[in-house]
Amino acid sequence: MLEGKLVRLRSLEPSDVEREYAWANDLEVTHYLSMRYPFSRADEESWLRGGPPNSFNQVRLGIETKAGLHIGNIGLYTANAEERHAELWILIGDKAYWSKGYGADAIVTLLRFAFHDMNLNRVYLYAQEANARAIACYRTCGFVEEGRLRQHRFRHGRYWDVLFMGVLRDEFDALHGGPS
Amino acid sequence: MLEGKLVRLRAQEMGDLERDHAWINDREVTRYLAARYPISLVDEERWLSGRPPSSGSNGLRLAIDTKDGRHIGNIDLLPGNPDDRCVALGVMVGDKEYWSRGYGTDAMITLLRFGFSQMNLNRIWLHVFEHNERAIACYKKCGFQVEGRLRHHRYQEGRYSDVIEMGVLRDEFAASHGLAAPKEGGP
Repeated sequence: MLEGKLVRLRSLEPSDVEREYAWANDLEVTHYLSMRYPFSRADEESWLRGGPPNSFNQVRLGIETKAGLHIGNIGLYTANAEERHAELWILIGDKAYWSKGYGADAIVTLLRFAFHDMNLNRVYLYAQEANARAIACYRTCGFVEEGRLRQHRFRHGRYWDVLFMGVLRDEFDALHGGPS
Repeated sequence: MLEGKLVRLRAQEMGDLERDHAWINDREVTRYLAARYPISLVDEERWLSGRPPSSGSNGLRLAIDTKDGRHIGNIDLLPGNPDDRCVALGVMVGDKEYWSRGYGTDAMITLLRFGFSQMNLNRIWLHVFEHNERAIACYKKCGFQVEGRLRHHRYQEGRYSDVIEMGVLRDEFAASHGLAAPKEGGP
């Protein structure tokens, strides 16, 4: 369990399947994400049951409020042992918890774990250019815009640029505090 | 077979194994590539024989031959997302005699043209290490633009260095190089 200020991050369980199924098929939730096809319950179940246990290679966690409500997921993947970097992804599926700081708290909590427990040096992510709420949130967490991948994604009838953002461990510690 | 001005691109064959193995273990060749560990002949053979056939979803990996049939390197498009019509490109000229003589550039332009005019791609991108100035100049000539600088994305030779992200769009390539294949014996 990773404790944040508003949330805690825990392992995903097969019993999360109904919520996962609802979020993955909610077009408002996936509007800016690369997921675009309908997912079945069986697809979701195999996603939940299919992954290896959390480790350096892949981290997948459920985001819970302190009251125990599961509101979304967050994770790291393609962690690279030599370069000490990984890609972060996040989804807040419960729309009642959008724009209230839960996503930012989940990200800062996972970044602290990535830098202070996994010994990463850098975490990066991709954000669709029109996803202004997410980009503002990533900036709050310490991510810096490093590039703009032109026409990198096609959705909703046209190509969109994708922002590439990254944060380094030293920057994170300066902003959010280093190890005590 | 994809015909360029100086090179032709062809499917890789098991007969390429010895050369591929030598190149991937040559520190001068791999200095700016992601490959860093010694690769055994068996690993290389498994890799060469285990690839799926080239396609829009599988990507493609081609050998670069000079027009007189000398295999000098490899070039590939990685598996991409068919919805986004966007893939990554990788290139290696392993035969150092052919460095800085336009062969890599010609191989790139030939593959870009194929990607845009035959595979219906919209965007091709690549990553290059900031110190690889020869490659960056070559990519610019092919039409790639710098789109970003991934800070400390690469660790090698005792320190972190930046990675440059570059991309080229179909319309840009069509304007600068044309989508029609060059005529045989043309300029």
